[in-house]
Amino acid sequence: MNQEFELKLQAWVDGELPKREVSRLATEIERNPDAQALLAELKMTRGFLAGNEPEVVLPESREFYWSKIQREIERLERTPVEEPSIPWYLAVRRLLAPLSGLALVAFLSVLSINLFYQPDDPTRQLVETENLSEHVGSISYRSQSENMFVVYLYAKESESGDAEVDPEGAPVNDLFLQ
Amino acid sequence: MDPRRNMATNPEKSAEKPVVPDVKLVRRAQRGDMVSFEELLLRHRDKIYARAFSMMRNEEEAVDLSQEAWVKGWQRLKQFQGDSSFVTWMTRIVINLCLDQLRKQKRQRAESIELMEEESGGVERQMPTVTINPTAGLERKELRARIDKALGQLSYEHRTVLILHEFEDLEYKEIAKRMECSIGTVMSRLFYARRKMANLMAGYKREEMS
Repeated sequence: MNQEFELKLQAWVDGELPKREVSRLATEIERNPDAQALLAELKMTRGFLAGNEPEVVLPESREFYWSKIQREIERLERTPVEEPSIPWYLAVRRLLAPLSGLALVAFLSVLSINLFYQPDDPTRQLVETENLSEHVGSISYRSQSENMFVVYLYAKESESGDAEVDPEGAPVNDLFLQ
Repeated sequence: MDPRRNMATNPEKSAEKPVVPDVKLVRRAQRGDMVSFEELLLRHRDKIYARAFSMMRNEEEAVDLSQEAWVKGWQRLKQFQGDSSFVTWMTRIVINLCLDQLRKQKRQRAESIELMEEESGGVERQMPTVTINPTAGLERKELRARIDKALGQLSYEHRTVLILHEFEDLEYKEIAKRMECSIGTVMSRLFYARRKMANLMAGYKREEMS
């Protein structure tokens, strides 16, 4: 019998042998008288130990035994929980940690303003475009968010101050929507 | 929590009253009633001490460790959820304290060759199989006395694994966790502990006969 077989025998006695191995082990035990003897010894030992734990009585009186426990409990409950002493550099670091956090937030805020804020917002601007016409002026307006581009045309005032009209008599002011 | 609260009452004086179940005493103790805790100690002190003694085999150490277990029990009482009985919970505390103590002792002393042989079953493998029941005809008291004597002759590793398996009904896996070793080591230690136990008991029987 090798050790592995012996430990399997024991696991069987203790009910800890996997079920798939039980039948194979039983067959081997049937063929092996030494295994049968060992199995009987293991069962016997387990049997006489069960329910026969030696009885031991505390060798001290209840009062004396309890008084020591009580004193210890009282001592522990009286003792304040001491804060562990911290070295000065750790204390400074503890103080500086939130300050450095604030500084970082401020830095990131400034950085983001510089990166993302553009005073001439191209999505919303009023631009006078160059117009080569002597008679018609135009103003364009583009709104990216509203997906709109508006060109406002108007008649340029002549040097004499009269408004121009188109040849067909329609008003020059037109609105083109894109 | 004021531990002196309600201490004036002596639990032994309440012996005439109907027995209060452990569960109720635990609940009261969890609220800071130390008289209830003292009553629990009164009921279970021998069992907790016995477990410490069975593992340590030293009266003084067993008293100290069992007292430490009661102090820890009081401190951790709020963590007790009632998944097991109070005495089982307390027994686990004392077992863990004993295991810690035994580990410390083991680290302090040099490993002997004898112990190393015992771990690997060097001696027990050579032992003859016990075929006649050495406990037959023994009265329970005498049987327990012999078991106690035999336990005292085992190494602490063998004794502990035997106690945890036979008296605490722990499975291999649970013992391995508590003893911080593999399941294979638990099985091996348990096997050789049983073999040695059987042979020691057979030896006592032979002494009795001669």
